[in-house]
Amino acid sequence: MLELKNISKSYDNFALKDIKLEISKGEYFILLGRSGAGKSQLLEIIAGLRSPDSGSIFLNGKEITREKIQNRKTGMVFQDFAIFPHLTVYENIAYALKIRHLPRKQIQAAVRRMAENVNIAHLLDRRTDDLSGGERQRVAVARTLVTSPDIILLDEPMASIDTTLRDEVRRLLRKINSMGMTMLHVTHDYGEAIRLADRVGVIHNGRIIQTGIPDEVFSKPVNKFVARFAGVRNFFSVKISPEEGRHVAVSGKLKYKLPEGDYPENGLMIIESDAINLSLKEQKDSDNCIKGIVRELNRAESAYEVFIDAGDLFHVLVSNKDFERLSLNQEQTVFLFFSADKLKVI
Amino acid sequence: MDTRSTFHWIILALSSLVLLFILAPLVGMVLDTSPSEFFQTVKDDEVQDSVWLTLSVAFMATLVFAFMAIPLAWMMARYNFPGKRIIQGLIDLPVVLPHSAAGIALLGFISRDGLLGKAADLIGLNLVGNPVGIALAMAFVSLSFLINAARDGFAAVPVRLEKAAMNLGASPVKMFFTVSLPLTWRNIASGFIMMFARGMSEFGAIVIIAYHPMTAPVLIYERFNQFGLSYARPASVFFILVALVIFILIRIFSNRANRSLVKVRVNNS
Repeated sequence: MLELKNISKSYDNFALKDIKLEISKGEYFILLGRSGAGKSQLLEIIAGLRSPDSGSIFLNGKEITREKIQNRKTGMVFQDFAIFPHLTVYENIAYALKIRHLPRKQIQAAVRRMAENVNIAHLLDRRTDDLSGGERQRVAVARTLVTSPDIILLDEPMASIDTTLRDEVRRLLRKINSMGMTMLHVTHDYGEAIRLADRVGVIHNGRIIQTGIPDEVFSKPVNKFVARFAGVRNFFSVKISPEEGRHVAVSGKLKYKLPEGDYPENGLMIIESDAINLSLKEQKDSDNCIKGIVRELNRAESAYEVFIDAGDLFHVLVSNKDFERLSLNQEQTVFLFFSADKLKVI
Repeated sequence: MDTRSTFHWIILALSSLVLLFILAPLVGMVLDTSPSEFFQTVKDDEVQDSVWLTLSVAFMATLVFAFMAIPLAWMMARYNFPGKRIIQGLIDLPVVLPHSAAGIALLGFISRDGLLGKAADLIGLNLVGNPVGIALAMAFVSLSFLINAARDGFAAVPVRLEKAAMNLGASPVKMFFTVSLPLTWRNIASGFIMMFARGMSEFGAIVIIAYHPMTAPVLIYERFNQFGLSYARPASVFFILVALVIFILIRIFSNRANRSLVKVRVNNS
């Protein structure tokens, strides 16, 4: 198990502040954050490539805060893999074993076994310069796994991989995790977290602001930043008050009916873009129905993004079918409607 | 590019002039040397000794100082510290000093009254007029070339490769010898050649430290002074030819050793 206790570290124009984190043995933990949030720096501190200003790091109950890098048993896979360009694939994987002066036969057997595990046995004699991104990724993973680390630290492992190869890499990472390896993976990609993580954490400005299982974190974000990571585009500052036996949220001239629950007086109301329906006629039966004007239409991957000014500016995702049915045009008047339970206040 | 443009012709003309300026004196010197004069000089023991002394001392000076210069180059590439620019200025200083002035400064240091001279004296070595003194003079004026080339090479090695090596269990020393040094080999070889070349062509500092034993540049100068241009010329041609052959051999050797390495390094960075 990895445990970080109050890790802080100042850099020239940035600081990691009071990082607390626990990752259980065999867990796949993903730390989400924008670039510059401090993710890679935190991995480097865990790996011992930098020292924290304060705080402690424990791995399997042993404090490793000041332990030498080479004795930590933390295997790091760098963002661009950091494959040694002057060595072949075999020599890259064997590097750590040669340094430990293991017998040659033992090294050969270990390298071959590991290469077979990550499906690169056919590449062992190759130089690394003409490998694809996915192959380089596998070499980097094999080179790390062969050291039998207690935890694997993955720094943006998909960032240098073609989109078409990402499924393959995800399968590889799941396979390694299923063999009992503890994984700490940092990324800026919410999709990776949803697909891979047992638990996620969100780091912002050098602080971990929320941790939990992915569904919990993304369905109950603690703030706007976490909600943005989950793809939420509609945020409105609201004042909340009871009215006719239920809570309503007021934003400017607009009033929104909220689901039952306890609310603070002020908050940030969010609604996901695909939870909003559009109609050309007013929908009086709906909890919330607001009149607005279409300001912008953009074609997205499998839908249309429509920006509607209803006093608050809404971002709405409309399916191709609905888009054709409604024949939406710029400056057209439409009605947005959605049930109260689609609204969340954070 | 339009090869018939005026710009193209101007570039071609200026480039040709510069190349002609470099080549003309050398070709002229070779053409003005008759084969009989040349072979007579080649057989001259004094000339042979001076060329051998120059090459061997320059090579040893480069080799010995490389052991200290390469770690300094790595430090300059990897660390930022107060006074780094001053140290860089210090490294470059011998290049901009008049070499006779460098010789005078060095003479004060290695003569029997100087710090190093006193130390050498303890083991019965007089550095002035000695090949060791010549090596020190050569190293003093040429060390910057090796340090700067190696520093640029180390700076071009991605730090993450060194971090990866340490994460895989390498100690800093092993990381240096298994990753940093192999990846900088080409730059170091270039710097080595430049330092060697600069050292063996040195005249100003050496003539002050050691007129005897005579290095090739001192011998050429002495022949010119004593007997005139026609006696100095064959010795110059011989020295240049030997140097050229050695440089070509070293370059071929280092290129073979590094061709594939550099290719992959560029692709990886």
